[in-house]
Amino acid sequence: MDKKYGAYICTGCGIGDALDIAALTKAAKENGMEAKTHEALCSPSGRELIENDIANDGVNTVVVCACSPRVMKDEFNFGDDKYVTRANLREGVAWCVEEVTEKHTAEKVKEFATEKGQDYVRMACVQAKKGDVPDPYKLETINRKILVMGGGIAGMTAAMDAAKAGYAVTIIETQDKLGGKALGWRKQFPTAAPWTDLEEPTVQAMVDAVQAESAITVKSSTEVARIAGAPGAYKVTLKAAGTQSEWDAPKKVGVDEQDKISKGEMEDPNVGLQPYMADDAAAEDFGAVVLATGWNPADVSEYAHLGYGKLKGVVTNAEFEKLAKTGKVPANVAFVQSPGGAEHDQDFPYCNSVTSMVALKQARYVREDNAAGKAYVLYQHMRTPGNMEMFYKGAQNDDGIFMTKATVTQVEESGNGLAVHLKDTLLNEDVTLNVDMVVLAAGMVPTTSDKPTINLAYRQGPGFLDLELFDGYADSHFICFPYETRRTGVYACGGVRKAMNMEETIDDACGAALKAIQSIESADRGVAVHPRSGDGTYPEFFMQRCTQCKRCTEECPFGALDDDEKGTPKPNPTRCRRCGTCMGACPERIIGFKNYNIDQVGSMVKSIEVPDDDEDKLRIIVFACENDAYPALDMAAMRKLPQNALIRVVSVRCLGSVNMAWIKDALSAGMDGALLLGCKFGDDYQCHFVKGSELADKRMANIGETLGSLGLEPERCAVRQIAINEYNKVDEVINEFVEAIIGLGPNPFKGF
Amino acid sequence: MAEGMRVEPDLEFIKYLKNAGGDTLKKCYQCATCSVVCPLSGDKKPFPRKEMIWAQWGLKDKLIADPDVMLCHQCGDCTAYCPRGAKPGDVLGAIRAYAYTHYGFPSGLAKLVSKGSNLPLIIALPALVIMAVWWLSGGMSLPAADAIDFGMFFDSHKDHPTIIAGLTLNVLLIDAIFVPALGFAVFAAYKGVSSMWRGMAAQLEVKSQFRPSAMQFVTEFLVPSVKEILAHKRFKECGTNLNRVNGHLPLVLSFIGLFVVTTYGMIRKDILGMFIEGMHGPIPLADPFKLLANISAIALIVGVGILWMNRAHTEEENNATPTFYDWFLIVEIMTVGITGLSAELTRLIGIPVLAYLFYYMHLVAVLMLFVYMPYSKLAHMVYRTFAMAFERYRESGFAKNIEG
Repeated sequence: MDKKYGAYICTGCGIGDALDIAALTKAAKENGMEAKTHEALCSPSGRELIENDIANDGVNTVVVCACSPRVMKDEFNFGDDKYVTRANLREGVAWCVEEVTEKHTAEKVKEFATEKGQDYVRMACVQAKKGDVPDPYKLETINRKILVMGGGIAGMTAAMDAAKAGYAVTIIETQDKLGGKALGWRKQFPTAAPWTDLEEPTVQAMVDAVQAESAITVKSSTEVARIAGAPGAYKVTLKAAGTQSEWDAPKKVGVDEQDKISKGEMEDPNVGLQPYMADDAAAEDFGAVVLATGWNPADVSEYAHLGYGKLKGVVTNAEFEKLAKTGKVPANVAFVQSPGGAEHDQDFPYCNSVTSMVALKQARYVREDNAAGKAYVLYQHMRTPGNMEMFYKGAQNDDGIFMTKATVTQVEESGNGLAVHLKDTLLNEDVTLNVDMVVLAAGMVPTTSDKPTINLAYRQGPGFLDLELFDGYADSHFICFPYETRRTGVYACGGVRKAMNMEETIDDACGAALKAIQSIESADRGVAVHPRSGDGTYPEFFMQRCTQCKRCTEECPFGALDDDEKGTPKPNPTRCRRCGTCMGACPERIIGFKNYNIDQVGSMVKSIEVPDDDEDKLRIIVFACENDAYPALDMAAMRKLPQNALIRVVSVRCLGSVNMAWIKDALSAGMDGALLLGCKFGDDYQCHFVKGSELADKRMANIGETLGSLGLEPERCAVRQIAINEYNKVDEVINEFVEAIIGLGPNPFKGF
Repeated sequence: MAEGMRVEPDLEFIKYLKNAGGDTLKKCYQCATCSVVCPLSGDKKPFPRKEMIWAQWGLKDKLIADPDVMLCHQCGDCTAYCPRGAKPGDVLGAIRAYAYTHYGFPSGLAKLVSKGSNLPLIIALPALVIMAVWWLSGGMSLPAADAIDFGMFFDSHKDHPTIIAGLTLNVLLIDAIFVPALGFAVFAAYKGVSSMWRGMAAQLEVKSQFRPSAMQFVTEFLVPSVKEILAHKRFKECGTNLNRVNGHLPLVLSFIGLFVVTTYGMIRKDILGMFIEGMHGPIPLADPFKLLANISAIALIVGVGILWMNRAHTEEENNATPTFYDWFLIVEIMTVGITGLSAELTRLIGIPVLAYLFYYMHLVAVLMLFVYMPYSKLAHMVYRTFAMAFERYRESGFAKNIEG
């Protein structure tokens, strides 16, 4: 489009006092823009100033030099067809001016701040010139049908909720009937006041309701062979449960493995299977997938002192439920909640709070079936959240239910029954109990932990990635993005997502169904689902220059990119989360977004004025992640914490999107250092895009080596981790880095 | 594998406690707030927290041999502060009620007295005994209004007493009823207390060779305990029901006063009366002992009245559960006081029918107090005293298991 620029400088909120506005206007003029000033651009009269220019002069690209781009988004939104860039003069400069000292006088402080402000104005002008409004990617046809994998409580609820919202649903269930694990329950937890008594199972009523719902198709004894395609356009091949098919999802074959296979050093694991990019003409179309494949009871035989598998009468809670469902349970039963013995006080893995409540429920069975029944609940932790506290109290009130915190040191045979030896009890003594049966609180292992389950025909393989980070759970980020898996369009709920009870599962399934719907509708509008909800951009590839290096296909955290046999990437924009990790990875710099690309950010970096004769005025470029580090900087400024005036901050979508070309641009322009500020990575990562800051760290290590070979100190480039709440630390982190650069001295290439 | 304490919960015991005022016991979740507020709780014996879980687990043997349970005087601090409404104070009361029945000798009588449903029988037995003696004595006729003398109650003559071996028939019959009754009660209490002591000592696992002599026992353990009881020292450590001291102290003093007066009356009528005939009649109102008797009677009524209101108030506020065990004693003592005072007043006013009726009821009430002492709540008088003595014993060198 033909651009007509309008630049505006706000002097309100202290900007006019801290900075020399005339100098800022000059910086805009260098870029050919006559900047207008206003004392409050966000006010009705400020907006009117801009809107008049849009209406009368045909301005369509607006440079707003005012507050942080994170605020006043609505005030400076002039319609989808107007491109707006922002210079962060308020939080970025005026509110974080340096402290005035004897050496660093008020004039100096203002001079440094003004230079920073000028650079931000220049960068915003260049950003406006090099960027464009988004042009959303639209699928040719969209399918709105939702596939629900698993016909248990979670799957049935998700299906019903989606159907009620007007979407057609297909449930596939590997068993021959709907109901899942709940079919085996004798009673279920209370769901209503007074929350004390067990209820008759309601699963059959749910099954009946699902079967009566015309929008739901149920396919029992069926499983997924493969899911190909992308949100809005999945191609799903189904097969009879337990059978093999040529359309089974192939295992991932990496570059090295492919090499070995072709040399005959390794067997092809996918012999007899269709390639992952093959098109099954018989496949069914779906728009999104709800993963409700549930859980399996955990294996508890590793705890030798509890005797499972060796002693008759030691069973798991799942086995006890089966016994209770079909007959009478024994009169004296010990329920062991924590297997650690003398070593630790943890509960069984994968138990969450569910097994505590299951033990209380099953203790009730002992009392129901035996007039003189005695049930002992031996716990390290009793977890009964919310209204379930009443359920706990109800069980506690039963004469024959005995509870104590205890370390179970040994279970052994004794007479006709079992002896359970306890230490550290509330009875203040070591205790031995004589019982008929010992029930172990085995946890609920997600079905994703040992099998791909979702069976995707994706470049990155059929399963979810990095499951070891989450003990086998498929979340992409449990706290920030519930239901989200590492595969856009696939939403997990119920036992496959967390050990949860029926009530929680019902809520959870509703959430997953809504996310699936959101995913379909977002695909329809060509916008991102999450976390950049509503983002209309998508990565565009200049394929002519692609060298098939496969870095983008390998590094995409969400498996959005497939490829052909040569390795040319095949983008699937509806799978994409718009993080830009592919853009950061590409050595050929052929990937970019309409409003966020290599040339644009590189030009912004190059627009920074670098004095080549003033050793006090070093320049350090900071790429700050928009999700954690940039908000932390803004928050520090809101609290008026001083910030080093030598830094120039660029907001990036994710550190993973930082292309090393930008670092080279900065250093070759004579800047003295480059700092990447992103979120925590590792086991407890906080990255919105899972891998971004970790990838950036690796890339920076590599570029450090390159710098070394050029005679530049590798220390000029660094990655630092900042959490969103660490606003009080961020200036310290920056100062430390700046001090190190000052120690190294100016960039020797300055002025070339 | 090292054996721990073999635990076998007694479901019947739990059921008993729940029916005897401890219906809230299972609510305890071992937070130990009770132990923090209880003045009895020590560093290494979180009382009554540990008793609560023993009760929840039905560990009867541990509880009835636990001196702490007997030491508790139900001040109510634990119940007032309990965040779960588990009312530890009531649970302990129920445990004591169970213990009195458990240790009670003979056990048949102990069980009879422990149940509210037996109340008609509990009253009828002594009522019939007194009635029978009265009938046999031939004294069931009314005296003249100006010559009412309870010394002639068990006597067909209402103007001059029938003398047998220097004593009046009335004195002989009174002694024939009450001396054995008191003797029985003392013996039964002795049996119960010694069985409790053995249980407590067994729990303590004393291995010391040294045993206190009877004299040491009395001077070192028993007497200091009695002194402490009279001073009401522990009552005063309580926060919640402090005004129970105002009721309990006059009540205890009135019992002592009445004991002194009764002893005086016995010496005067039963011993001196053998030689001086004038000593048989009512003690003159101006006699200092009569004065003490009247003051004690009033103190008794006021004291038990305060405890009555106190308990009713606590129950109203839902901080205690009404039980037969508690109310039987309160009503019983009140009956003793009211009937005694009413008999005296109606005698002085000169209404023979009422005077004799009240006097009859008074005799029945006093007999009940005597005979049922070892099993009713009044048993705390002995069990508590000996538990306090045991506490002193436990802390003494005798129980320290010194080698040798």
